[in-house]
Amino acid sequence: MAKVTFTIADMHCSNCVMRLEGIEDDLPGVHRATASYRSQKMEVEYDETLVTVEEIAAAIRKKGYEPTH
Amino acid sequence: MNNILIALITGLTTGGLSCLAVQGGLLASSLASQVELDLQNQPVTASGKRKRVAAVPVGKKVHLARPILFFLAAKLLAYTLLGFLLGALGSVLQLNPVSRGILQAAVGVFMLGTALRMFNIHPIFRIFAIEPPASLRRWIRRFSKGSDSAVTPLFLGALTVLIPCGVTQAMMALAVGTGNAATGAAILFAFTLGASPLFFAAAYLTTRLGTVLERYFTRFVAALVLILGLISIDAGLTLMGAPFSPSNLMIRLSTPQGAAAAAENDPAASGAYELVVNATDTGYQPEYLQAPANQPLRLIVKTQETYSCSRAFVIPELDMGEMLPATGSVAFDIPPQQAGKILYFSCSMGMYGGAIRFN
Repeated sequence: MAKVTFTIADMHCSNCVMRLEGIEDDLPGVHRATASYRSQKMEVEYDETLVTVEEIAAAIRKKGYEPTH
Repeated sequence: MNNILIALITGLTTGGLSCLAVQGGLLASSLASQVELDLQNQPVTASGKRKRVAAVPVGKKVHLARPILFFLAAKLLAYTLLGFLLGALGSVLQLNPVSRGILQAAVGVFMLGTALRMFNIHPIFRIFAIEPPASLRRWIRRFSKGSDSAVTPLFLGALTVLIPCGVTQAMMALAVGTGNAATGAAILFAFTLGASPLFFAAAYLTTRLGTVLERYFTRFVAALVLILGLISIDAGLTLMGAPFSPSNLMIRLSTPQGAAAAAENDPAASGAYELVVNATDTGYQPEYLQAPANQPLRLIVKTQETYSCSRAFVIPELDMGEMLPATGSVAFDIPPQQAGKILYFSCSMGMYGGAIRFN
């Protein structure tokens, strides 16, 4: 299990947090996604044999946010 | 009855927008399953960006009114129950005016911080964002996806009791202050009912008209919450009898000392000087009075078909207070005060105030 932390500067409320954490359900291989509006970061635990960092970043973009890591 | 009317009017005027600013996340979650279905058919732009989940493209057939109504109905029920519990708690733990003032000022600071966070002034103000724990967020998300479309908004509407907005918190403090379970329930019922039309309209329009409106809407709510926060801090300080509260400063500065009403009757008749203050729907008249120092004073507060919160009269420093009749008069016997002392009085919400200077 690998871990990656994204900075997501355009999170603007607690609602964004729940929306972003939805990638946990959307993307096979993502074990856990925990976002924080206060720190503007999201930590993702994922199975590197099933999904890549780029795919996770793409899933975040698909939700309307711009991740950097 | 008066507090219930205030709660209803507060809800009708500001409650809806303020609540939506804080509880919009839960509402969006309850709408998400329907809206996301719609989004799946929406094209992604060249930059890979997609409209926010809360924004529904105009013209798409999504039935948003029903889940919003379910959400609001559950919220109404949950807050009425909360009001009942808070009123019951207040009957056990009666707050004095100073404690209520501290609570109200703290609520004001929270609202101020929330407004500055919404304006995105500085990252430090993000500490004012209420974030449910990660485990609860995960549970809510899975529940909202896996359950029936009617159950989700009902359940999440009830959950709003966990994230009350600043104005709601002020109403919760009011419910505690009544010290009566039924009145507490009535206050939060009236407030939540009053807030519902604006909440519904704003939520419906925001989800319908998309992110451009959402951005302006957020700023509008932030400005409103900012103003309410400042009013709440002032009211809290006034209720604490703080001489530096903006309202109390204004009373002192705007009334020349010579113009202040003086003690008026023959001290020999009742053994104390008497001062008369009229509690009207718009405040106390006169606001600034003078009385002789080192002598007992009888303050007579009169009402004449008064229905505003000025009827809930308190003198915080002396821990005196009484709910005045709509028409009539109530006397407060004030012990001798030193020369130069200024004694502040106000309504129990800190909205109206006045002062007596002892010379």
